[in-house]
Amino acid sequence: MQTPQKRIAVNFGGGYVPGLNAVITGVVLAASKLGWEALGIRDGFEGLLFPDRYSDGGVMTLTPAMVENLAGSTGCILGTAAQSDPFHVRTINAENMVEEVDRSDELLGVIQKKKIDAVISVVGARALSILWKLSRKGLKTVCIPKSVENDVAATMLSFGFNSALSFVAEMLERCRQAAQSARRIGVVEVLGEHAGWLALQAGMAVCADAVLIPEIPYDLRKVAAKLREKAKAGQTFGLVVVAEGAKPLAGVDARPKTSDPKMKAALSPGATGEEGLHVIERSGQVAAEAALVIQRLTDRETYPLVLGQLAKGGTPTIVDRQLGLGYGAGAVRALSNNQSGVMVVFQPPDLKFVPMNEAINKFRTVSAESEFVQIARSLGISLGD
Amino acid sequence: MEKKQVNAKAPTGLVLNIQHFCTHDGPGIRTNVFLKACSLRCKWCSNPESIHPKPELAYNAGKCIGEKQCGFCLKNVCPESAIYVVGSGDRADDKVRINWDLCTNCGNCVPVCPTNALYLFGQEMSVDQVLDEVEQDSAFYRESGGGMTVSGGECQLQADFLAALLAGAHQRGINTAIETASNVPWDFMAKVLPHVDTVLHDIKLTDPERHKKWCGADNTRIRANLKRAYETFPDKKFIARTPLIPGVNDDEEHIRATLAFIKPYKNVIDYELLPYHRFGEGKYGFLGRVYEMMDFTSPTPETLKRLQAIIDEAFGRSGAPR
Repeated sequence: MQTPQKRIAVNFGGGYVPGLNAVITGVVLAASKLGWEALGIRDGFEGLLFPDRYSDGGVMTLTPAMVENLAGSTGCILGTAAQSDPFHVRTINAENMVEEVDRSDELLGVIQKKKIDAVISVVGARALSILWKLSRKGLKTVCIPKSVENDVAATMLSFGFNSALSFVAEMLERCRQAAQSARRIGVVEVLGEHAGWLALQAGMAVCADAVLIPEIPYDLRKVAAKLREKAKAGQTFGLVVVAEGAKPLAGVDARPKTSDPKMKAALSPGATGEEGLHVIERSGQVAAEAALVIQRLTDRETYPLVLGQLAKGGTPTIVDRQLGLGYGAGAVRALSNNQSGVMVVFQPPDLKFVPMNEAINKFRTVSAESEFVQIARSLGISLGD
Repeated sequence: MEKKQVNAKAPTGLVLNIQHFCTHDGPGIRTNVFLKACSLRCKWCSNPESIHPKPELAYNAGKCIGEKQCGFCLKNVCPESAIYVVGSGDRADDKVRINWDLCTNCGNCVPVCPTNALYLFGQEMSVDQVLDEVEQDSAFYRESGGGMTVSGGECQLQADFLAALLAGAHQRGINTAIETASNVPWDFMAKVLPHVDTVLHDIKLTDPERHKKWCGADNTRIRANLKRAYETFPDKKFIARTPLIPGVNDDEEHIRATLAFIKPYKNVIDYELLPYHRFGEGKYGFLGRVYEMMDFTSPTPETLKRLQAIIDEAFGRSGAPR
């Protein structure tokens, strides 16, 4: 049976991860195979909300010729929108006052006016919630999970993760060599607010001495004991990997207090409580604090280092290229099956489609029984517990 | 046509906080009343909870006792399913989290939270309610020459309420000051300023384009309003202020341009520098927002001293220690 002609668009919510161009390629080739027209929306939904900002009107037609040799390239030809939210669009009103307005209805109107049948949206955790709200308002959409932390629920592997993992492992290897040559303990912070996959898997790959992840509250005394034990056996250096969301075990928080809370209360209303525990106040904070405490506990020089956002850049690995292409083509398949409001997920060996709200308010985290945790322990890596 | 105010026609104001014993915002010991809503979006804002023109939810995870011990907010309280935990209840970390993109600030979750980890910023208060609380400190005002300072957000966005509040304060013999960025229609200022003794007003940047980049809107209206205010109210005291942000406005050019703007007016009695601090940073987390000035630090004492010397010289205070 002939699939009816469709006009679909692809866009990217959230920030950059390696492999976005592979998704575009997958969407365009699969759509073309069905005889569909594929469009690209610039910078999330901003191409539709602010067409005047773009020389091409914010939307570009994507043809198979345009995506030739694109899949393995770095960057994203459509751009991304890290802070874009059609429900709260910052505007300057007629009185020159700044306000946030809900332009979601207008956005859906523009999509209809441009005769776009469905939008394939590549999202992280935040953009997923926003897309879900648009979907509830009638947007026909299929979403694709991206995350360098691999923390999107419902899928085994988000694209972007493998590239980040390769980069982080290579950097850790270099950090270890540097630590060895300087006879110091390197404390390296990597991304991972909710899930410690990146720290754990990269740490395992280079046989780090300790890996601290958000899922396992840490006690730095245990880490220090491990490092002292290795020092006794002749190892003159150390490598500790910390995910940025790693937290100390309750009651053994050795963090130095950075400011007087009374002073805070006097100068800012509302800031009288403790700091939010889930808030990463500053990139590099966990590494700096852990390095300080480990130095105090081991009497050996440490140095903190932050890989952080560097892991989000670069070209996609072959795994991410395949995933991006697969996710793109899979999303088109979902639309051709008349599905909407679903997320394409990879549950090896299959690509499946699950309702997108199944991934909202959930994170794919490292469980204590995870095989990775068991292997790490077998390798003698301290998890700080 | 009358411009639309935040909270227009309400007999009450949307008050964020009343803070006692403040010494930085006007003469003497003062009580600061913070009103909600702002018409700028300065990237360094230290009161992000004051921006939104309606009551809004905040969450302090430090006070949450977790799903296992409590979990009331997870029991179908939120109509948008915006409250959740990561993982299951048998994990060490079972504190709730908020999906800020789904939250509509309805506040249904606030009364069920026994530890006040969930709370609403902003409450409706009448003029008398505010003044009754402010007046508790009147002994301190008398001794120190202090009074009430209304701040924000942008307090003048609630012009009718603010005018009534300031007039009420005067009736009770309380000295008044406001802290404003002045990015409001002139009608609002015309209502408010007759009831103010001291106007503390910001001059964040002098260049309109740079002002737009860092504060969300240009400063054309602000400059026009301030000139008109200086001229219309020659008997009022005005104090210009600059929140000094490294890499944004901590340069001589800005200080001299501001001095050139204010010096022709004798009723602008001082120009103060407010060194940027990061105290507002934690509150961005409470509101689920991103603090864009993540990597900025406070200006150095040397910079402050150098810029202050320029101001002191302009005001004829050269050599006087500050």
